[in-house]
Amino acid sequence: MNNNRQTDNARCVVITGIGMVTPIGTGKKEFCRRLFGGETAIEEIKSFDTSTFGSHLGAEVTNFNPRDFISVKNIRRMDKISLMTAASARLALEDAGLQITQENRDRIGMMLGTAFGATDVTAQFLETLFTQGPASVNPILVPNTVMNAAAGHTSIELGFRGINTTVTHFAVSAENAIIYAAAEIRRGTVDFIFAGGVDILSKFYYESLAKFRSLSPRDEGSEACRPFDKERNGMIAGEGCGIICMESLQSAIARGRKPYCEIKGAGMGSSPTKPTGWPEKTDGIKRTFSRALRNAGNAPNEIQAIVATANGDRILDSVEAQAYSEIFDCAEKKPLITSFKGATGESFSGGGIRTCALALSIEKNILPPVVGLINPLQPLPFIVGKKKELEINNAALAGISFGGTYAYLILGK
Amino acid sequence: MKKRIVITGMGTLNALANNVPDFARALQQGSCGIGMINLFDTTGFRSQTGGQIKNFIARDYIPRDFSIKRMSRADMLSFAATLEALRDAGLYPPPQELKEEIGLAIGGGAGGLLEAEEFYEDLLKKSDRNAKFSTLSSLFCASSADRIASVFGFAGPKSTFMTACSAGATAIGYARDLIANGQASIMLAGGVEPMCRLTYAAFNALKSVDPETCRPFDKNRAGLSLGEAAAIMVMEEMETALSRGAKIYGEVLGYGITCDSFHMTAPDEQAWGAVRSMQAALKDSGLSIDEIDYINAHGTATPVNDVTETKAIREVFGRRAYLIPVSSTKSMHAHTLGASGSLEGIVSVLALRHGFIPPTINYQDSDPMCDLDYVTTGARKANLRAVLSNSFAFGGNNTTLIFGRYTERGASHE
Repeated sequence: MNNNRQTDNARCVVITGIGMVTPIGTGKKEFCRRLFGGETAIEEIKSFDTSTFGSHLGAEVTNFNPRDFISVKNIRRMDKISLMTAASARLALEDAGLQITQENRDRIGMMLGTAFGATDVTAQFLETLFTQGPASVNPILVPNTVMNAAAGHTSIELGFRGINTTVTHFAVSAENAIIYAAAEIRRGTVDFIFAGGVDILSKFYYESLAKFRSLSPRDEGSEACRPFDKERNGMIAGEGCGIICMESLQSAIARGRKPYCEIKGAGMGSSPTKPTGWPEKTDGIKRTFSRALRNAGNAPNEIQAIVATANGDRILDSVEAQAYSEIFDCAEKKPLITSFKGATGESFSGGGIRTCALALSIEKNILPPVVGLINPLQPLPFIVGKKKELEINNAALAGISFGGTYAYLILGK
Repeated sequence: MKKRIVITGMGTLNALANNVPDFARALQQGSCGIGMINLFDTTGFRSQTGGQIKNFIARDYIPRDFSIKRMSRADMLSFAATLEALRDAGLYPPPQELKEEIGLAIGGGAGGLLEAEEFYEDLLKKSDRNAKFSTLSSLFCASSADRIASVFGFAGPKSTFMTACSAGATAIGYARDLIANGQASIMLAGGVEPMCRLTYAAFNALKSVDPETCRPFDKNRAGLSLGEAAAIMVMEEMETALSRGAKIYGEVLGYGITCDSFHMTAPDEQAWGAVRSMQAALKDSGLSIDEIDYINAHGTATPVNDVTETKAIREVFGRRAYLIPVSSTKSMHAHTLGASGSLEGIVSVLALRHGFIPPTINYQDSDPMCDLDYVTTGARKANLRAVLSNSFAFGGNNTTLIFGRYTERGASHE
């Protein structure tokens, strides 16, 4: 019996640290206050000129000084995306109360998700190549044009020497990274793993989103982020990084750390979708959600809250809402639904930030409101207006991506 | 009881061949696929050579039933390799009842950059910024897997890896774990890397490219040759394969992954990350060092990689290091970056299946720092039990895979 419990605890993956650099705050204290306060970081973009575009709003990271987190030796080699990642990972490391030593560093890994990577550096590199020729290309920029640069810089800065991988799959990049990372803890490849997602705003990236008609105001109406709202007319672009520290429950108990929550299970899936288009049917969501529940050993009625993907897109939000109304059609008590995109904007690999937020929600039994939602598109229990207090034993984190990829996580007390 | 994950189909296009049977022959003949590049203008670069895929006309490989509109070269290459792998595995067209449980894990690199570069050059040079932004719909690497899954209606997990030169190997290791954990029955795993100007300019700027043809482990080696490839494997649980009567090429026995945490572009000269990666894969496979009969080296032909890798192999294998043939097939098909781990995975499986050790070609002068048996005088016939394949990447990411010859009882119990 005792032996069984030990095996169970070794296989039970928990979150013991969170760290983030987001538009609504760097570090958990500020993030928590603004998230649960229902604040938004969406405003006119300041870091580049948007005057020639049809959209002008965004959620930028402002209150962030990399020097507070990163050594002088490494800082000059890092670009924006690496700085945010290294800082978030350091915050998660400190939050988990973990010291890196010669003895444990081979058993600490990192799994990072990024949808688009360093679009700023890549655009700059190509600009030099095409306007000044191959001889003018700066070799210092080269390492930062590869997508795994941020995780590489972070492992050098913090000294992680276990598994180190970068995953990309558009809007489920971070969820995929977290699911993969949790499996590595279960498999025993590493003792601690830092996982999450990062994406940044750059002028070229913003212009591309505008040209793809993803941004609000897509058709008509005023520019704003309104997840699940009847008046929604597109997303607002955001940026930021969220990293969680995971370990086995056994390890957390041995270190005397109280976990935020457990990663109980996950499901992944796909469905036929147009390239760069959001899914137009609910089957992928329903199938993946039920895979996650089965993996976690939960029934649908045991889920008290869902952190949705909805970002104000006309198609995504209605398909996601429709899927939940079908899944919980006969349920007596439906889970509360929230989305953070009205506060933080859509950063595609925001699954890292959202997992940090959900970990805090489970710890504090509070769910933040859907900022920007006034008239829900469906009669579902969306959190409108202000935060809600609720005992959360099990919650789902929804990852839905354009291109037809899904990843759902079930987190529990 | 640990589940046994086997390989039942393979597909590839690379500088040596545009299908697996031709590839196997070229490897046995020690052919060289490296030559002048004509995919884009190389004027002004330090080198003009590389391992370009020859005579690739998408429609020769992709039936007209499938639209290739807005597909990048990477999308088309990976699609063509997937079709070959599915046919080879007896899964084409994919049976309806299996589609739910088929997933994809793809190692990416430049994705649709080749096309996006043309667009971006256009954008920079046109003042009205009316260049075709739609080109960007296939820029990012995840697009290749999305297109394949959507066309066939695969409903399993989908993930794309971006760990540069180890991405293709990581995708195979990850796919194995997904099947072992019951999250998918069949995985299409591999990698795709197209040649493009950004990559070419980047490696030239770092001066890590040999202006001629790469010479792995040679005393006068002067850097790598860049290449391109798509390499896809069909992986499934042994029971699944047996129940549908599929032929089995080999087995994925071990998977190890570590990080140097040392430098973004240079390997740690202590080779500690590479050592731990090989050790982790060995431990995972349950094999002893005596059961590894061939090492498919990362062997990029940069001065530092080849010495470091040699040192790491000596550290892991001790005296046996001198008894195991080690070769770098990059000397033939060039370094295909994000695809290399999976391309060399296919090399490893072909070596097991056909009983040969592929050579390291272009080798002339021995380097006292690289003192192993690099198979420099042509391919050898050999009855192999297990093959270890290394992939080391920018960012200090190391992945090692171990493949075994398929036998009913398992490689370690022969």
